[in-house]
Amino acid sequence: EQLNVVGSWSSLPLHKAYEAPFWGETLPEASGGKITTQVTTHNEMNLGVADVFRLLGQGVYDVAMTVGDYAVSDAPELEGLDVPLVAMDAAKAKAAVDAARPMVDEIFANRFNSKVLAIAPYPPQVVFCNKEVASLDDLKGLKIRASGRMTAKFLEALDAEGVNVAFSEVPGALQKGVVDCAVTGAGSGYSAGWWEVSTHLLTIPLGGWDPVVTAMNMDKWNSLDAGTQELITDQIATKFEAPAWDSAQGALLNDIACLTGNGECESGDKRSMVLVEATDADIAKARDILEAKVLPEWAERAGADWAKRWNDSVGKVVGVSIASK
Amino acid sequence: MIPFITIGLLGLLSLSIPVGIVLFLLGFGVDQFFSLFPLLRGLGNMVWSTSNSATLIAIPFFVLLGEILVRSGIAERTYAALDKWVSWLPGGLIHANVATATMFSATSGSSVATAATVATVAMPQADRLGYDPRLFSGAIAAGGTLGIMIPPSINLIVYGFLTQTSIPQLFLAGLLPGILLALAFMLVTVCICVIWPSLGGERRRFPLREMIGGLGDLLPIFLLFSAIIGAIYKGWATPTEAASVGVGGALLIAAMFGGVSLGMISEAIVGTVKITSMIMLVIIGASFLNFTLSAAGLSSEMRNLLENLGFGPLMTIFVVVLIYIVLGFFIETLSLMVVTIPIVVPIVTGLGYDPVWFGILMIVLIEMALITPPVGLNLYVVQGARKSGNMSEVMVGAAPYAFTMLCMVGVLIAYPDLALILPRLLQ
Amino acid sequence: MAERILLAVRIWNKRIALATGFILLACAGLVLVDITMRQLGSSLGGTDEISGYVMAIATAWGMSFALTELSHVRIDFLRSNTPQKTRVLFDLFALFSLAMTVAIIANQCWPVVATTLKNASTANTPLETPLALVQIPWFAGWLWFAFSSWLIFLSAMVLVVKGRFKKVEGVIGIASAQEEWL
Ligand code: NA
Ligand code: NA
Repeated sequence: EQLNVVGSWSSLPLHKAYEAPFWGETLPEASGGKITTQVTTHNEMNLGVADVFRLLGQGVYDVAMTVGDYAVSDAPELEGLDVPLVAMDAAKAKAAVDAARPMVDEIFANRFNSKVLAIAPYPPQVVFCNKEVASLDDLKGLKIRASGRMTAKFLEALDAEGVNVAFSEVPGALQKGVVDCAVTGAGSGYSAGWWEVSTHLLTIPLGGWDPVVTAMNMDKWNSLDAGTQELITDQIATKFEAPAWDSAQGALLNDIACLTGNGECESGDKRSMVLVEATDADIAKARDILEAKVLPEWAERAGADWAKRWNDSVGKVVGVSIASK
Repeated sequence: MIPFITIGLLGLLSLSIPVGIVLFLLGFGVDQFFSLFPLLRGLGNMVWSTSNSATLIAIPFFVLLGEILVRSGIAERTYAALDKWVSWLPGGLIHANVATATMFSATSGSSVATAATVATVAMPQADRLGYDPRLFSGAIAAGGTLGIMIPPSINLIVYGFLTQTSIPQLFLAGLLPGILLALAFMLVTVCICVIWPSLGGERRRFPLREMIGGLGDLLPIFLLFSAIIGAIYKGWATPTEAASVGVGGALLIAAMFGGVSLGMISEAIVGTVKITSMIMLVIIGASFLNFTLSAAGLSSEMRNLLENLGFGPLMTIFVVVLIYIVLGFFIETLSLMVVTIPIVVPIVTGLGYDPVWFGILMIVLIEMALITPPVGLNLYVVQGARKSGNMSEVMVGAAPYAFTMLCMVGVLIAYPDLALILPRLLQ
Repeated sequence: MAERILLAVRIWNKRIALATGFILLACAGLVLVDITMRQLGSSLGGTDEISGYVMAIATAWGMSFALTELSHVRIDFLRSNTPQKTRVLFDLFALFSLAMTVAIIANQCWPVVATTLKNASTANTPLETPLALVQIPWFAGWLWFAFSSWLIFLSAMVLVVKGRFKKVEGVIGIASAQEEWL
């Protein structure tokens, strides 16, 4: 069985450390040669991020993975997979994703003609600021570079201004004050040198955890025999999903240590950004905004049914609830 | 698959099928013969997401800027003013061609637009003053290529966009090599015209008073350059947004010179639509071909090939340079960039080279491709502006300049700081 | 008849190009306003998103104009060294390849719009632009490109059959003196 696999960003750790080895070696070996694969990434194919799952559904390739948030154009209900600021650590994020899994399965089956195989985390999206910031409230009035519709809406509700800047231009933009803060994974910000041009690191996941969904074209999935299906499901859960989640919290702590100089840094030299951790007041404030504004708006986009299902699953796990209208 | 692509490309191109369409046809071929997957179904999304780009809108803006400068007469005045300053050199007016191209490069993001601008104002002079048409037109074609080296530059924007490299840094990096290249072009012209004086036409001296009087006509271009580049480095505008600053500035300057009318603007925007669509057909075709090639595994095949050669960093760079020179003969330049960047740049940066430096190196190679036959867009532009004569004359005339660019490649490899010093100093 | 069709396509393309050009100019103006407003401490927001849509739509609608103005780049070294009748054959074949290809493209663009309509897709941005609003004009542009290239091809065929090679070369050949290159 030949599988054409399209991975997420080729330059990021999730692809290098987990996707590429799993699809390139682990799975073909575990199948005893029955499954062969050809692995590329969506950026190498020059695909627009919003097209990855559309084309998967049309059978242009067999397996694809990308950040779920990229596909919300076609499925507003998918925004519920990654609500910012509800999960402060990897364990909680994992619990939220697990709770959302049945919904995600259904969304992918209906909207993208695909079978979800796994959901793995990107590094949580933290905030680099070149302004003195001590709490969530201080973001008010600042210009912030963030991506994702729900994060943008959250910033709007916070009276901060969303600014669109390409990733490669962020250091210049922070330096010149085009933006005051920018959101990205702690590891990406460390390796891209954002610590040179920013002073404060807010470790609250303002951009959420950017879960990456791995899915297979539904027709392809149905054409596989039960044994192969089981093999893939087992292997991906134990050899891809689990290790990716296990390392998430450790990687986050390591990256924070590298950026702030507090603790052991395994990836290189320590830097000395000011660490700003979320206080209980911040978390409470975030919840207020989510419940009062951001989530009800999402419920309108996605429909009341999805809001209810979210309340009963993810909402229960993270302790947030959308008031019904 | 590589022989198929090569033969198919050359064959279809020589049938005089439009270049953009050739790329689509090759994509269809790859889909049909080398892929188990229905890649054609990705075509529509490819067309949409390639053209739905806030980055690429810099193309029409820069083209429009050039159109306004030509149609308002500013281009002609600039040329006349520079003529007074440089025509005493052996080679005479040919230096004005290079100098005008250099000036316009500083406001234009595209080599085609730069060459077209200079060709439009310079060509009428060639016969009148008895210049050898070969060197005269070759200098325009070559000088025009500076449009993508001296900032602003659409190609550097595309490079930065595809490789996640800072575009302002790329712009800074292109400045010194661009100026050096312009000076080298003039030096080569002097050498050639000293050896064969008949090629150079008449050398003319102007009184100092006239020379100084001409400086005023250079002011508009200086102002425009300052506005575009200033907006970027002050952090007011992104490199793409700065193109709209250029359009606004050009309109303002044209208005001050009394050259704005509804008719002029209509002509300018119609010309812009034409050139933009021409370029975009090629870019979209290249994106689709690239998509089919990487889906069929050619990208990884190529990467493995390059990696398995086991060459050291320097040797790999030489191989890459060689590949670009050869491909540059046949492939249109933006498609050449779009198709090769995802394969080549990760390898090169993996070897420890600076992506900003490699971007500049690639631009020199791309500039070369613009003036090497059979597919050299600038040659066609200049030939298009001539009223008579054969295409091969322009090709011959451009050859010494192409050789100069090759030397520049060597210089950049030997002294990477030439590109990197400005970004480092101004960081 | 064939000549009238060719002329009509040309005239319409010119009008379309004019409209498209003004939209591009307006977009440049919009971006300028946004840059200025940012300096004054506020922002329109979403101009980059709008620029992208303008680019996609302008590109699609400009394609046919570039065709009637003979601006799509073609490599001439073989063709230009042949007699007129052969040159016209080159031109016809090139135009046929173009018309076929563009028909395939337009055909493949429809599923993009269809998916958007089916999912009522909106942009993944604060503007939440309904994508159908921008993709339908974009698709219509490609449809026009496909339709007009077939019209031109068929008309050119008719002229060839009538033996009017000089006319055909003027309409679908390669522009020899393009002083309007810029
Ligand atoms: Na330039
Ligand atoms: Na060439």
